[in-house]
Amino acid sequence: MLNKRLNLTIFSVLFAASAVCAATPASQKNAPPVPDLSGFQAVDMPYDKGEAVLLTWPVTPADVPGAVYQVYASAGKDWVKAAELPAASSLASEVELPFWAWKRDAALHAFQAEMPALFPGFKPGDGYSFKVKYVNGKTSLESAEAKVAPKANFFNLNRVNNFVLLVTIIVVFFWTVSHAKRKGLFIRRIAGLDAIDEAIGRATEMGRPIFYSTGIGSMSMVPTIASTSILAEVAKKVATYDTQLKVPHFDPIVMTVSKEIVKQAYTEVNRLDSYRDDINFFVTQDQFSFAASVDGMIHREKPAACFFIGHFMAESLLLAEVGATTGAIQIAGTEQESQLPFFFTSCDYTLIGEELYAAGAYLSKEPMLQSTLKVQDFGKAFVMVAVAAGSVLVLAGTIYKWDTMLYVVKHLFKGY
Amino acid sequence: MILIKKYIPLALCFLFGVLTLGSYYVPTAASENYMEAMNQWENIVAGFAFLLGLFGLFYSHYNKITRKVDGWGYSLFVYIGFFMMVIPAILSEGKIMEGTTLTSIGWGYRFIYNALASTMFSVLAFYIVSTAYRAFRIKSAQAAVLFVAALIVILGKVPLGQMLWDTTLGWTGTQVSGIVQWLMDVPVVAGRRGIMMGLAIGGIVTGLKIIFGIERQYMGRD
Repeated sequence: MLNKRLNLTIFSVLFAASAVCAATPASQKNAPPVPDLSGFQAVDMPYDKGEAVLLTWPVTPADVPGAVYQVYASAGKDWVKAAELPAASSLASEVELPFWAWKRDAALHAFQAEMPALFPGFKPGDGYSFKVKYVNGKTSLESAEAKVAPKANFFNLNRVNNFVLLVTIIVVFFWTVSHAKRKGLFIRRIAGLDAIDEAIGRATEMGRPIFYSTGIGSMSMVPTIASTSILAEVAKKVATYDTQLKVPHFDPIVMTVSKEIVKQAYTEVNRLDSYRDDINFFVTQDQFSFAASVDGMIHREKPAACFFIGHFMAESLLLAEVGATTGAIQIAGTEQESQLPFFFTSCDYTLIGEELYAAGAYLSKEPMLQSTLKVQDFGKAFVMVAVAAGSVLVLAGTIYKWDTMLYVVKHLFKGY
Repeated sequence: MILIKKYIPLALCFLFGVLTLGSYYVPTAASENYMEAMNQWENIVAGFAFLLGLFGLFYSHYNKITRKVDGWGYSLFVYIGFFMMVIPAILSEGKIMEGTTLTSIGWGYRFIYNALASTMFSVLAFYIVSTAYRAFRIKSAQAAVLFVAALIVILGKVPLGQMLWDTTLGWTGTQVSGIVQWLMDVPVVAGRRGIMMGLAIGGIVTGLKIIFGIERQYMGRD
């Protein structure tokens, strides 16, 4: 009897134990995986102006379709939902930052929280808390809080490639300038600039005025500055031949600067007596009104030569075409490549690309200025070599699947 | 005098040039505030300069009228146009709309200014035709290439051209739109980028010339 009871007890215990053993793995098999959020970190976003926080946490097998990560931020009291990201997204390896400033870790999630968007009264240096919550159906898990005080960084390391290029250009710039003092430079002839003498001579012979437009750019634009340099040389020649010069302006500041330049040009050739204050005059700051007004003047006064050098937009063709119908010699130059075709077809000579910036130095014949043309040549040589080498490397990298090299080459030539 | 006319402007140009250049690499709030302040100053100076330009314009046209120079009648329109816009603007307190109705300045803006500006812009279409005629005259091998490329682009951009292509050259199996896309994506982009790179380099060098005081013509020479 006792044996029977003992046997029954042992059997019952074994049965219960086997049932428990059989049941546990089954329940574990059906439960969704849960991520490990112990590696959650919040740090100041590097190389920014202190308005972003970088959140990272490890990639886990729980990052399945349908699961999401909810990012929460707090300034001390309430939690604000900063973002909700699909669990399989926002990887550190997907962040588009250069290799020297960012580690593309495929085992980490990365999220950049923009603080002013989350907290309107945000100030760099204040402390904030962050946490991330994993949600997959009914399963959810929160990380521990991480505190961070974002601060501004002094140097944007992402732009170090640009900075290195700038320093190189400055070094080459000073080298060529110092070199120019000792030696002269050969400069290829630029037909458009050589034709200035012809145009002014023609105007003198015909007794007709010369129109010079600096375009519709402001004084802070490089093509306008380049145009005023050319105006100085044109004005000198005009003053020498005692021809009439008219410079209509779109921008009053450009007009003021041009007045000074033209007056200086007249002074340099000892013809200050011929200088009139109304050589430079303001027309309007409206694009088509400016075009209409200058077109009217060109049409009525039939100038012998027209110069359209500077920043031009849609008015380029309006001006150049009217000038062409009056039979004037026309010389144009702009940095707007979309307007160049109009100038090509309507003008006798067009300064293409960097010729516009070289014109001042070319005309003035000053060694210091001319030497800087060499920097442009070095720059073009560098671009040509970089384009050729970059193309070969990217091609080779694509064919032979050298991903690291592709990554390095692409980042080196990219602006951030 | 030379200190005020030459050295101080050059020093200011260098200082603000370097600061502006440096602000591109320094992502602090101070750097951002500096750029904002510079833009505000530019606007302030431009506002005063506009007044200067306006007075200069009036003075110049006043002289033309009083001296009765050729075409002095046009100068009258400067004053007429100016007062036609400024007086209604003052009367309607600068508002374009009053509820759902146009104010006098709104009317002038829409029915005078906009009409005139649109007319000028539409003139472009006619000028493009005459320019295209000149551009497409085949005088050399390069001009012939330009003409052929332009013709293909024109054909590819209009339905009639596409229909003509399909009728006459459809047997080749090539779509004119594909050729146009290739022309726009490859030779055109290559040419444009070449010009843009040259311009960028020229722009950088000109900027450095100004910052370091080598290019000084914009401030008049001593």
